[in-house]
Amino acid sequence: MLGRGVKRKWSCLEELEVETLPAAAAEKEKNEVEEEEQKDEDGLLASPSKSDMSHLQQRQRVLGLCLEKLQRYQAGVELSLRRSVLLINTLRQIQEDMQSDGVGTCAPEVLLNGVHSDSCILREDMPVTCPGCAEGDGGNLSPPLSPESSSQEATSSPDQQKSLPAATINAFSDAVNAMGYLSDLALDDIFEDIDTSMYETSDLPSAWASSSLWPVSVSLWADEDVKMRPPGHASAGGLQSCLMDLNELDHIMEILVKS
Amino acid sequence: MAGPGGDMQWCFSQVKGAIDDDVAEADIISTVEFNHTGELLATGDKGGRVVIFQQEIENKSQPQFRSEYNVYSTFQSHEPEFDYLKSLEIEEKINKIRWLPQKNAAQFLLSTNDKTIKLWKISERDKRPEGYNLKEEDGRYKDPNTITSLRVPVLIPMDLMVEASPRRVFANAHTYHINSISVNSDNETYLSADDLRINLWHLEITDRSFNIVDIKPANMEELTEVITAAEFHPHQCNTFVYSSSKGTIRLCDMRASALCDKHSKLFEEPEDPSNRSFFSEIISSISDVKFSHNGRYMMTRDYLSVKIWDLNMENRPVETYQVHEYLRSKLCSLYENDCIFDKFECCWNGNDSVVMTGSYNNFFRMFDRGQRRDVTLEASRENSKPLQVLKPRKVCAGGKRKKDEISVDSLDFNKKILHTAWHPQDNIIAVATTNNLYIFQDKVN
Repeated sequence: MLGRGVKRKWSCLEELEVETLPAAAAEKEKNEVEEEEQKDEDGLLASPSKSDMSHLQQRQRVLGLCLEKLQRYQAGVELSLRRSVLLINTLRQIQEDMQSDGVGTCAPEVLLNGVHSDSCILREDMPVTCPGCAEGDGGNLSPPLSPESSSQEATSSPDQQKSLPAATINAFSDAVNAMGYLSDLALDDIFEDIDTSMYETSDLPSAWASSSLWPVSVSLWADEDVKMRPPGHASAGGLQSCLMDLNELDHIMEILVKS
Repeated sequence: MAGPGGDMQWCFSQVKGAIDDDVAEADIISTVEFNHTGELLATGDKGGRVVIFQQEIENKSQPQFRSEYNVYSTFQSHEPEFDYLKSLEIEEKINKIRWLPQKNAAQFLLSTNDKTIKLWKISERDKRPEGYNLKEEDGRYKDPNTITSLRVPVLIPMDLMVEASPRRVFANAHTYHINSISVNSDNETYLSADDLRINLWHLEITDRSFNIVDIKPANMEELTEVITAAEFHPHQCNTFVYSSSKGTIRLCDMRASALCDKHSKLFEEPEDPSNRSFFSEIISSISDVKFSHNGRYMMTRDYLSVKIWDLNMENRPVETYQVHEYLRSKLCSLYENDCIFDKFECCWNGNDSVVMTGSYNNFFRMFDRGQRRDVTLEASRENSKPLQVLKPRKVCAGGKRKKDEISVDSLDFNKKILHTAWHPQDNIIAVATTNNLYIFQDKVN
């Protein structure tokens, strides 16, 4: 991103943008030409799958871009409040769109293929399905993007649902962390005397997460988790080990209660 | 070829700034503003500097050469700072410059970066006192006992020196980034607006300001809208407007209450459902709001259009002009490369008959309200011969591209004109490309 008061040559940025722009424009042009052709062929009563697919494709793409942009702004590079609000509102809109689409059907293979190349943030080996395609709990609208639910559903449909890894959640939390001025308080102050922060969400970004923006109901503060975790669980992937701790705790409680 | 404003033809006059294509980031122009007479033209850049150009006295013997603008003063207005609490740098980029009406020989302007507003005094010195008999040749002061005569120094002419000095620093009043400043018609107060709050200042008082608008929710997770621009009414000192990222404009009356959270009027156009997309909200975000000189209208700029509002009608604008509608089908790409977040400004001409705004590919657009005509012009080095008439440009949205037209995919989205200004009385315009300032004037027949 742009430095501060540093005389950096514009040509570096130009190179970056020149790379993205023709590619993006060309790709979008191609997609749109295809979309328009389909629409023209089918007329107003377009077969739902075709127009839905382009809509879903675009939605997935915008979703990926949204997350990428929020992730991109690491600490030290400020994300303007206007931009972050617009991005988050777009995320909300996509989420509402997904939820309203939840009862619709679409071929998961098609969606996966469409998502594969377009989505920037998702890795090659971790495709995402839309809620409508989620197998597992019938009619359950909780999308498989939640690592919590995915760990539960992992056994039911492992081939279709892979959780958005902690990487994405961390990315989101990093981005939201970087929005330092959204909370006027130093975040450490809030967490000082709370020892259940591992389990609860707190403050605005995780509040955003819990209040229906993103169906992730675990704490986003991966860093905090590293601090709070009892020694002996010092591995990376803090989120997963927290969940395992939770499960272990439950297990232990069960045993204690039974005896 | 006739253009907006009757038979107005725009000619190249001057270009300021480096010629080479390698742009140093600090030289990127971030604001342009004429003063109230149009004699002075100020620019601010990303490096925190202000450059003021002055119009030379017209050359009566050669009337076809309109007066030129030459550098009058250059100074460093803001320096980069560091916010230790949040570990964030505060950019020195000048977001806005606003001139104060001239009251005496000196000129005053307000310049602001993200956090701090400064009042600068620009004064001329063209005489210096000579003839003191208080010092020796080498500069040491003489022993007073040796001075036997009273000699009054005489002012003698010297080369013009323009000095800029900071007279007031208005700091520590904004948690969020300042996007607008606006001087009140009472010439005593001004407002500064950031993403969530608007403060009212007295020009003489720097240690306190009054908060007049606060849209920060108690719970930041409920934040869905930010303030994007604000301006005082040109004549009514109690009235100001502010625009939002959701495409609304609120008009507030400071007489109603101390905290103007309740608007007097809310200007909003209902959304066109056929144009709804994931980008609808982003492109509806208003990037600039400007009152007309006569105070009866205001103009707003969103990503694709310019809208003129009658202050007496809240439910829809009275005029809408499409700046670059051909971009509507490209919104996803523009979202990808962040261009969709670009904030274009707009401006009125002196008699409110024509409005102007920038676009991509170094194009800028003018809309003649009375004659219902619009034109697209380009600011480029290729069209920079003295008094060269600018040829109207046309973008081909699709289908067969005619000769002289440029296709949408050939547009250079790195060349954006975000800042333009119109001389308050004459047909002289200042158009800022990335690091160059172009001055155009209409052809004197």
